[in-house]
This record gives sequence, structure tokens and C-alpha cells, in this order.
Amino acid sequence: MADEEPVDQKKLLESICQSNCAKPKNGYEECVKRISGDDTGTMHCTGQYFDYLACVDKCVAPKLFGKLK
Amino acid sequence: MIRIRRGHQVYQQVCASCHSMSLISFRDLVGVAYTEEETKTMAAEIEVVDGPNDEGEMFTRPGKLSDRFPQPYANEAAARFANGGAYPPDLSLITKARHNGQNYVFALLTGYHDPPAGVTIREGLHYNPYFPGGAIAMPKMLIDGALEYEDGTPATEAQMGKDVVTFLSWAAEPEMEERKLMGFKWIFLLSLALLQAAYYRRLRWSVLKSRRLVLDVVN
Repeated sequence: MADEEPVDQKKLLESICQSNCAKPKNGYEECVKRISGDDTGTMHCTGQYFDYLACVDKCVAPKLFGKLK
Repeated sequence: MIRIRRGHQVYQQVCASCHSMSLISFRDLVGVAYTEEETKTMAAEIEVVDGPNDEGEMFTRPGKLSDRFPQPYANEAAARFANGGAYPPDLSLITKARHNGQNYVFALLTGYHDPPAGVTIREGLHYNPYFPGGAIAMPKMLIDGALEYEDGTPATEAQMGKDVVTFLSWAAEPEMEERKLMGFKWIFLLSLALLQAAYYRRLRWSVLKSRRLVLDVVN
């Protein structure tokens, strides 16, 4: 704790939890590919992004506060 | 208690430059987050406008325990002007003022992510998936190591988020623990009273409920 930067607990848990959420992550990446050619500016991947974030949050949330003071 | 103290430090050093908490006074902190002397010293560091004096003029004096928390802006218009049209809301009741307030504020503060593909946020706004609409005017404020806690706790983003939400929950509902204890006590006592009342009602009505009515011929 003295000299090194403390590691943020939430980011650490999120990187661990990403492996559990491969399916929504794939869904998001497929969406990105689908809209990559689009120029109308109306297409977006918010839905798939939220699915992925919800999956990660569900995994992180029960464990996070145990690691904080 | 110690978390409320740390949370107040986060508020003071990170949030108070834009967010007022105009319903909280310094004296509310005494015994909860700081001792009376510490709070007096903290209050004395700010200047408060008071008055009018005998000559009819307003004057400034150092703060006292009875003063409210200082406001960063004179009024809402000044706040909007300094923040690109957006008004940083007063935080005195914010955890009660938002649905699932405690979790919402924590998620909002620690949940800044890059926008998904296809979403662009205009200049001056920032993407936050937890904010309705996704585009919030407040930039990410909780950065690892942004401040040093008095007690040496590592000031990570998640730790600061937890402490500041604890502080804000206390500010919005200082009576919460006492209220819930009272709730448990009275729900228990009243359910005993309910059982007793139900028994007594059935006891008194048993006379009527156990009557037998007979239809007979008249000769």
C-alpha cells in the first residue's frame, strides 16, 4: 500500500467476470460487425451492450463489497 | 461511522465543488463522523455571509456548527452556467430521490464505460450506461488515488464509491437505523397484541357462534 498504486477492486472483479459472460460478449461483437458497414448513424448496439454489462454486474455485485473496507 | 467519515471526505474533496448539500448542517456530523472539536475546526474554515449588523450591512464570518454546508454556486442559474447548462443536483436527499438510490448512485459513480458501437455522445457530455439516456454531463470523478484517506485506507474507485454512498445514505436518512429498530420492535409487539385480540374476540363471540336455532311448529 505504501508505494504501489492500489488496484481498483471493481475493475479486477470485472476482468475476472468477463470470462463468465462470453455469450453476451459474442452477441455484442456480432452486433458491432453487423453495423460496421452502416453509415446512416441510426444503428447502435446498446441492447447487446447492456446485456453484456448486466451479466458482468450480476457476477461482480455479490463479491465486490466483501473486498472493500 | 468510520465509513460516513470517509464518505464525507470524499464529498468534500471531490463533489463539493459542484454539488451542494444545503439541508445538512455541520452540527449533524458531530458524534457521527467527527468529534465536536474537529467539526468546529472544519466549519471555521469556511466563510459565511451573515447579517445585517447594527449598521445594516451584511458581513462575513467564519462558519459555526449551526451553519449549513456551503453552497458551491449562488443559485441554480450560476450552477447551470458553470456546467454547460446542466444543474448538479443537491445531494442532501439523493439516495431517496432516485429509485434504488443507494445502488443507483454507486453504479453511476463507478460505472463510466466507453459507449457501445453506434452511439456517439456530443461534446461536453459523457457516456454512462446507468444514467437514463446514457449521456451525463458529469465526468468521471472517482479516480483511483484521487484523494488520501486520513485513516490510510487505499482510495480505490470502488472504495470511494462505497464510502460516499454510505455518507449520502446517512445524509438522506440519518434516522434509518433507529427507525428500523423501532419497526422490528413494534411489529413484533403488535403481532402479539393481534394474537391476543383475536383470541379474546373469539372467546366473547363463542356464545353466539355456538347457539342453535330451531324452527318449530306452533300449536
